[in-house]
Amino acid sequence: MTPSQHMRTGAHTRLSIILRIAAALLGGYVFSWGFAALGVVVLSFAGMDFHDAEHAVMLLVFIVFLLAFLWAFIGRSLLRVWAVLAGGGAGMVAAAWVLQRSLLG
Amino acid sequence: MFPSFRHAMTWLHTWFGLSLGYVLMVCFFFGALSVFDREIDRWALPDTRFAAQPAPSYDTLLKPVFERLKPHPDDIKATQDRVIGALPDPDTLPMDALYYYRTHRDPVLRIGAEFGIPNKLKSASDEHAHAHGWATIDPRTGAVLSESQFKIGSEFFYPMHYSLNWQWKNIGYWIVALAALSMLVALISGVVMHRKIFREFFTFRPWKTAQRSSLDLHNMAGVAGLPFHFFFAITGLVIFAGWLYFPVSTTLLKPLHDHHEVLEAAHTGLAHEPAGVPAPMASVDAMVLEAKRRWAARDMPGDVGFLYVNHLGDRNGYVSIFRAGNDQVALTGQGVHFEASSGRVIREDPPPSAVMRVNEFLTGLHLQHFRHWLLRWLYVLGGLLGCVCIATGFIFFVEKRKAQHARISSQGSRIVDALAVTAVTGMVIAALTMLVSNRLFPADMVGKDYWQKVVFWGGWALAFVHAALRSAPVAHARINPAWREQCWVLVALAVAAVMLNWLTTGDHLLKTVFTDTYWPVAGVDLSLLASAVLAVAVARLLARRERAQCRAGSDARQPGVLATAEAGHA
Repeated sequence: MTPSQHMRTGAHTRLSIILRIAAALLGGYVFSWGFAALGVVVLSFAGMDFHDAEHAVMLLVFIVFLLAFLWAFIGRSLLRVWAVLAGGGAGMVAAAWVLQRSLLG
Repeated sequence: MFPSFRHAMTWLHTWFGLSLGYVLMVCFFFGALSVFDREIDRWALPDTRFAAQPAPSYDTLLKPVFERLKPHPDDIKATQDRVIGALPDPDTLPMDALYYYRTHRDPVLRIGAEFGIPNKLKSASDEHAHAHGWATIDPRTGAVLSESQFKIGSEFFYPMHYSLNWQWKNIGYWIVALAALSMLVALISGVVMHRKIFREFFTFRPWKTAQRSSLDLHNMAGVAGLPFHFFFAITGLVIFAGWLYFPVSTTLLKPLHDHHEVLEAAHTGLAHEPAGVPAPMASVDAMVLEAKRRWAARDMPGDVGFLYVNHLGDRNGYVSIFRAGNDQVALTGQGVHFEASSGRVIREDPPPSAVMRVNEFLTGLHLQHFRHWLLRWLYVLGGLLGCVCIATGFIFFVEKRKAQHARISSQGSRIVDALAVTAVTGMVIAALTMLVSNRLFPADMVGKDYWQKVVFWGGWALAFVHAALRSAPVAHARINPAWREQCWVLVALAVAAVMLNWLTTGDHLLKTVFTDTYWPVAGVDLSLLASAVLAVAVARLLARRERAQCRAGSDARQPGVLATAEAGHA
């Protein structure tokens, strides 16, 4: 990248970096939340003890967060990164809620 | 955005490492000190310098102590914020549950209790309708240690490494979590950045430029400590995950959790709710004897580690007795549960499930309450290796840029360097000022705990001011003399702490090592002296380098050095 190109893309790059950081932290957190919630419900559904399910998921959730975090910086399309992390996380939370109701219902 | 995967990883490593490295220094340094938190407590509280004690008798010694225990004013204040209407007089609240926890390193005993409150809670999701009380006692006499007998190791350095002692909205925990996640990111991106990682591991060129040798040391510490650092960062996160970071079972999945609690209570026979019918309490000492008999019968004799009485004074009351984990990684285990009113065994815990065993192993290995002194020292070395890795990362960042920053009159590396001084020598100085003030303030001083904290934060703030005031040479690509000067402050404080310990308690090293051996205090004193020796060596080395820089004059601004600087790191 030549200096003049760098000047032109500077503001754009800064915004895209901020959006990447936000995706990594917030998107990654929402995704991990969804994973944790859905993981506990699915494992309970499969017959595992609730606390076992909770602990199993908590052992894995930060690995998931770490991978989501890294992917937010290397995923080609920023839009897809946001869609998968935030959308996927929200989707898993919703799925956990529905599955919980059917489990208790 | 980034031209390649490696560029993305390098960017992450540099900027997340730099911005959260300061927090990581705190986590690793105070984490390393926490390995010997109880020993630091002994140093700071001369009244408690006696041998670790077995679990005391409940019936004769603890019972009257618990009867006098009241909710803690701090907790009453916090509880008041969570409830509707004014709380009744704290002294009238009934005790619903009580516990104690002890390890093989504790002369004193930490006890606590939960008190029922009649008020409704503001938040529907908040089901913990209790106020808490706690105290530390001398288990030989039952005497309660006063609040100002502040345990610097376990009540300040230890929580520092996971909460920064910043309790407001648990914000300290969140910052530490972000730092721990950044540590994981930095380890992975660090491996990606250095393709020739194996060769770099064996490369150390202390005779080369500060930039080269700091990078060598950074790589060596990073690679050698990689499994250790990864393990501690991630298990540290896991320990608080279910409670704070991902509290699924108290929020979204609360219905499922509560449903399970009821089923579990029915399964284990340990009542989830009180019956509302008063009942007397049978001999707890007899229950402890029975628990010990059962442990011995399973070929794992031991003492009580955790004792918990729930639904105190109620017909549904039960006593849970867990074996101390001196000889196992899990903190406690092999629980035996008794009906409080009769002393009848309700249940003996089966061996934990595979998941629980993995969880107990990983978190237990982090918390290390078991007895293994060699491993304990290796933990300290591992923690300090983490500090070396982070600190050399700062120095490399500065060394790589300072010549260029000098040329374009940027203050960037100067600021980073002043913060690095604060986070390295400044942090040690803060800890040492606390120890010195602990020996200087009289034992019965009102608010001694508060003033020791003031000295700690004040000492640290002064170290920052000093580092900033002395930072001008960095803007001309030279060394900040604050590094060297703070090394000398560190030496003076460390030696002063050892001398003051001798003067105020009579416990000098000849006594604590040879004539009346007491390793907790001797170990702290010896570590202080070792730190002082190391700091003298570093200060002298820095003085030599500063003199060399002065002689070389403006060499640092010449293009040759800059070219090396830029070629040094991709």
